[in-house]
Amino acid sequence: MKELYKDKFTSVDDIQQLFEGAKYICSEQIATCVYIAHNLQKPIMVEGPAGVGKTELAKTTAQILDVPLVRLQCYEGLDESKALYEWKYAKQLLYTQLLKDKLSELLEGATGLEQSMERIHSHDDLFFSETFLEPRPLYKALHEELGCVLLIDEVDKSDPEFEAFLLEVLSEFQVSIPELGTIKAKIKPLVFLTSNNSREMSDALKRRCLHLYVPYPDEKLETRILSSRVPELSETLRKEVVSFVQQVRELDLKKVPSISETIDWAKTLLLLHSEQLEPAMVKQTLNVLLKFETDIDAMGDHLRTFINKAHKRSGH
Amino acid sequence: MQQTLEDFYKVIRAAGINVSPSDTIETSRSVALVGYTNRNILKNAFQVSLAKSETEQDLVGECFDQFFSFDTFSAANDPHSDNTASGSDGINDKQETKSEQNETPQAESELAKMLLEGDTASLATEMKKAAREVGLTDIWFFTQKSLYAQKIMQKMGLRDLQNDIAAMGKGDCPSSIAQAGELRNAKEYLSESVKDFVEQQLSMYGRNATRNLREDHLKSSKLSNIEQRDFHVMHDLVRKMAKRLSTQYSKKKKQDKRGQLDFRKTLRSNVAYDGVMFETYWKTKYIDKPRLLVMCDISGSVQAYARFLLLFLHSLNDVMQRIDSYVFTGNLIPVKDIFEKYPVEQAIDKIMADHGMGGSDYGTTLLDLDDQCMDDIDNKTTVLILGDARNNFLAPRTEVMQTLHLRAKRVIWLNPEPATFWNAGDSEMYKYKPYCHMAKTCNTLDHLERMLDDLLKAATSGT
Repeated sequence: MKELYKDKFTSVDDIQQLFEGAKYICSEQIATCVYIAHNLQKPIMVEGPAGVGKTELAKTTAQILDVPLVRLQCYEGLDESKALYEWKYAKQLLYTQLLKDKLSELLEGATGLEQSMERIHSHDDLFFSETFLEPRPLYKALHEELGCVLLIDEVDKSDPEFEAFLLEVLSEFQVSIPELGTIKAKIKPLVFLTSNNSREMSDALKRRCLHLYVPYPDEKLETRILSSRVPELSETLRKEVVSFVQQVRELDLKKVPSISETIDWAKTLLLLHSEQLEPAMVKQTLNVLLKFETDIDAMGDHLRTFINKAHKRSGH
Repeated sequence: MQQTLEDFYKVIRAAGINVSPSDTIETSRSVALVGYTNRNILKNAFQVSLAKSETEQDLVGECFDQFFSFDTFSAANDPHSDNTASGSDGINDKQETKSEQNETPQAESELAKMLLEGDTASLATEMKKAAREVGLTDIWFFTQKSLYAQKIMQKMGLRDLQNDIAAMGKGDCPSSIAQAGELRNAKEYLSESVKDFVEQQLSMYGRNATRNLREDHLKSSKLSNIEQRDFHVMHDLVRKMAKRLSTQYSKKKKQDKRGQLDFRKTLRSNVAYDGVMFETYWKTKYIDKPRLLVMCDISGSVQAYARFLLLFLHSLNDVMQRIDSYVFTGNLIPVKDIFEKYPVEQAIDKIMADHGMGGSDYGTTLLDLDDQCMDDIDNKTTVLILGDARNNFLAPRTEVMQTLHLRAKRVIWLNPEPATFWNAGDSEMYKYKPYCHMAKTCNTLDHLERMLDDLLKAATSGT
């Protein structure tokens, strides 16, 4: 990865600018982390609340490096056969049936069991070759000719067994397939693991990764993100939206709105041709921002004060 | 720089973050990569490489700010520095004129010169050097403060300085005496600064040691002897313990022995047998979680322990899903709701106030258990009883224990009293004991942890 893309990601500033060009506004910490990960070929464990752009970070990195993004979505019960590879059993069976005649041809003239075995051995491992291998995301990632960005999404949802399996992949970038031997990455991929912290990951896994925590953005950063993602939004409304959302985050809510919700809301307001935040409009579109009935109810009393404050912030 | 990095890792370790040797190697590589030019980037590099969680990230940031602030000496000296500087300037002039005559003794040691010149930068460097030589990074406890300060002063050349002062004070040249006085003041500043420095270092390096010592002590002292003010420390300890136990044991998947055939897996594992399915695998999996029923005695006789047992119960409630908690004196009272509704201290206070005190009656409690919960107890349930079995000479109702023993997977009795007291007075422990799979003394946190470790291991291993 590093050798192939030496000219990219030369400094932390460079990364920040490249990401900004790809419409991903990242903090210095994120840029530093990507810089180190790229140069030292270490995986990054990205943590943080849902919707702050963890997955987006991996996507953007792939886009900038111009390499494919291989994504492995983790869930409970995910195992090797779904993550790494699987044999095409049906094909194997079919081929053995089809080749039955050929086999007898092959064995023709052989006397004794030993000789027959030897003949078969000379055509060894035909059925356990890559033709019969169904590659899954991890295998694909190791096999990409030009490297790739491997995104292991929501790794906290996977089982401890799978986590242990990941250790070999992440530290050596190789996997062992009993029938084929050890397979090494052609080009070491840049790995992102995302986690919502629904389960504490093991220390062994954490140790192998750089740890990046992406929090909710502050007002300044969020305004920048919004201006890059929804550039059509007027300056005043942008400030109002950001100020409003920042205030909402202070409340004790079941699901605090994150950046993706802010962007969705801004797009909604744009669609409805709002010039500035108005109580009626906000009330109607609040369901874009808040995802629980109880949260929307809890907002009720604060709505007006928040809007007033937002107006003040934007200078209206 | 290597030394500085190593010192920094020491600080990080002292802050309670686990830093393994491979971590330090990787971090050093990261740091070498980003360089030292930008303070913020350097800090970020440390944060992403050393921290393993959000809180640790903040901690590393904090340590970074504390460790890489280089102005300790000058700051400590600041109020006086003008004074010293101007004073020493004057003295220096005099010194030069005097030295030509070479009659009176003068400051000869390096330290004295530096002090007189008010050269705070080299003083700070000297101090750091001395600190490293005496191994200040190994400081652990506040009692070592003055020892280390003294050592550093010695290393910096305190003896020579004192000799100088004495020599200059002896003569009768007024300027020399004035200079001696000046030096004496400067020595005071120096010693203050060194003490400040040591204190600051202690707060970095010793942070964890004191806490560890206290936690160790708390773990092994009797629950009844632990004081109220240590309650929150205990709470953290117990929580940590309960959390560890539950993550270790709570989620265990087991393959079901019936249901839909996992064709792929079965085929794959039976390829060796020419496709004849000797070994079968099934799709359905179930999560095997230990189910726990805990009864905690909160009567007068176990009053001293009750708070901590409840604390433990609360923590278990937090981390385990399938747990039923009850307290009792004379009757069985479910407390799961209270634990869920209130924060720990309030919950415990409420339980103690509402249901606490009074003599215990194990017989009635067991009858209650028989009445209310026996239907829920099956061969997957572990029953845990925390109490001293002091029944106030009431009917022990051992027959309920017998049913319990038959129905439940395991019955465990944890008694805060040592086994020698079990048959003394109104204790019925010997009557209950035959019906317990395990009955043990448990009066320290260490006991508790070991017991629960056993308990959960047995509960999940399916024995």
